[in-house]
Amino acid sequence: MATQGSAGHGRSSRLGARERNIVSTPHMGDYWIPIKTLGELLNCEVMVPPPMTRRTLELGTKHSPEFVCLPFKYNLGNYLESLEKGATLLVQAGGGCRFGYYGEVQEAILRDLGYDFDFLRLSGNTNIREFYRDFKAVNPSLTWRKAAAAFRVAIAQTRALDEIDDFIRKRVGFQAEDGAMEAIKKRFMREIDALRDVKAVRAVHARTLEELAAVPVNMPEDRLRVGVVGELYVLMEPFSNYFVEKQLAKRGCEVHRFVTVSQMFDHSGRKRHQRHIREMLDYAAPYLKYHVGADGTESVGMTHKLMKDGFDGVLHIKPFGCMPEVNAMSALQRLSRENTFPVLFISYDSQWSETGLQTRLDAFCDMLTMRKKRASA
Amino acid sequence: MPQQTIGIPRSLLYHKYRVLWTEFLHALGHKTVLSPPSNRAILDKGIALAVDETCVPLKSYLGHVASLSGMADAVLVPRVVSLAKDEDACVKFMAAYDIVSNSLPGTRLVEYNVDVKNGFYESREMQKLARRLGASRLHAFRAYRHARRLQNEWERAKSVQQDALLDSDRSKILVVGHTYNLYDELLGKPIVDFLDKQGVEVLSSEYVDKPTARKLASNLSEDLYWTYNKEMLGAVEYYRDKVDGVIFLVTFPCGPDSLVCELCQRKLKDLPMATLILDEHQGEAGMHTRLESFVDIIKMKRAAKERESGADMRAEAAAVGSVS
Repeated sequence: MATQGSAGHGRSSRLGARERNIVSTPHMGDYWIPIKTLGELLNCEVMVPPPMTRRTLELGTKHSPEFVCLPFKYNLGNYLESLEKGATLLVQAGGGCRFGYYGEVQEAILRDLGYDFDFLRLSGNTNIREFYRDFKAVNPSLTWRKAAAAFRVAIAQTRALDEIDDFIRKRVGFQAEDGAMEAIKKRFMREIDALRDVKAVRAVHARTLEELAAVPVNMPEDRLRVGVVGELYVLMEPFSNYFVEKQLAKRGCEVHRFVTVSQMFDHSGRKRHQRHIREMLDYAAPYLKYHVGADGTESVGMTHKLMKDGFDGVLHIKPFGCMPEVNAMSALQRLSRENTFPVLFISYDSQWSETGLQTRLDAFCDMLTMRKKRASA
Repeated sequence: MPQQTIGIPRSLLYHKYRVLWTEFLHALGHKTVLSPPSNRAILDKGIALAVDETCVPLKSYLGHVASLSGMADAVLVPRVVSLAKDEDACVKFMAAYDIVSNSLPGTRLVEYNVDVKNGFYESREMQKLARRLGASRLHAFRAYRHARRLQNEWERAKSVQQDALLDSDRSKILVVGHTYNLYDELLGKPIVDFLDKQGVEVLSSEYVDKPTARKLASNLSEDLYWTYNKEMLGAVEYYRDKVDGVIFLVTFPCGPDSLVCELCQRKLKDLPMATLILDEHQGEAGMHTRLESFVDIIKMKRAAKERESGADMRAEAAAVGSVS
């Protein structure tokens, strides 16, 4: 472990000084697959960080500012575990909210710990032009053609992952044989991880959906339907939300979630983003007049929509102190109170307590079932 | 034009835009009524109204809005999203209007919406507010121009006043924090007042020359995009060689500050720094001990430095003497 002084200014101070870089970027759900596809464009070896464990969080928490939001701590834990295994180039995406500022602070923390590495901060997260410009700075031999091709593959992989997860989320609680869908998902992941061709990815995607549809399920007419809304990272990283979707499925819920990376692609770009926010504000009326930041408006809009669509309840999840979601909560609490519509609020921080979550979910699902029985009686 | 009484919560952005708001509303012929200075009862009212994880200043703000009930025809709750093309304000200012209307339904609010990224500028938006309050186009324009001019003059006067403190012989401490914390009667003011009594000059990050500060901030952080934090960081950069120590005043759980203070402390390792985190259950005694010991350290360091430079001067004088 070589030492390096204080962090330099500039996107990355000494890129290209090393003969061959090993690139690594934090975990978020199963998205390491498309990230790997993109990472290969840097002409580096791509290292997927070790799987998330409690150690990841403990390491990250130890070196993070005290009340920074939870995703920062997980990201930092991923970096530390990757550096331990020899990563030399770390990548952090940009984006809104506090997230856009993570990179600079994380780099300073890791430098102070004495690690020797390069750090690449991307300017955006869904814009192919920005990706190309940032990547070209690291790998001058990159061509637009190659970048566009890899981008297309990564998008196909992302869409496949999201659609398959969506299918599983809605039905896994009712499969006749435990583990059947999980086995199909596992094989699917192995397959698309190796593919670098859009058509092949789409073929596996379609075949997997057919296989999943063929799994026998036992779905009662009066099953509970629950939406999960909230902050992007804890929604998409099941480890960080203590696998809350699986837990709901286990209690006989059909689970719906709307925030995915595919959806981020669909709403990227200024015009499309504004249209999306306007649509969400329409759903949210009369509980919001303005956009309240990040995914906050969507949390309110979707909750209101799901209520009108006859869903039984909504789970709102966020990292402790997440400002846009705290903003949304005042509207959500009023919506829930005025319409007697069940919304369960869960905040995650670095204190690990899965039992606390279990009991709350038990009570929530029992309450939903009782309401349903009373309504039909 | 019917005269109205507009309530202004003495909290959050009031401490930044007090001149602009009051002069603007007065020029339009309206009366203003201010909520009382922050006190425990107001904060408790806010705590009861707010979502648990809301930051302390926003909780206090809700208490202030509630305390205006029955005293005004409407309460001014502006929405501030971004003040420059590539910058944002903290998202609580983006949602303040909706948070207030959901937490205190039934309160009549008036707002203006500053969102430069999306083409909503302060001047036009405040004039639109004036039109909604019944002013003519010309009247609205004049009221805004008048109020903006006085606000700018006030800000300049404050920064000149503060720079004059730099000539003092006493130790100087820069207090860095959001305006709404530094000048809140319950949160920051007792701390600033206590420091004042310790025989040091107290400078505040708020009264730095703003345009200079925003430029200087990039020396410490190139990615920073929160306008108010940029001004705070720029103040640190501007004063770092001119003061003896820096105290960060942070309220729990401030999102932007959690990152910006961390970065600042990692990049400026040669300057004595302390961080005070204020929450809704603060006790003064603990705070005082910490402040006293920080001031002691700073005074000791300064005395040591003066002795050293005095010794140097004597040595120099001796050297000069021996040559002659």
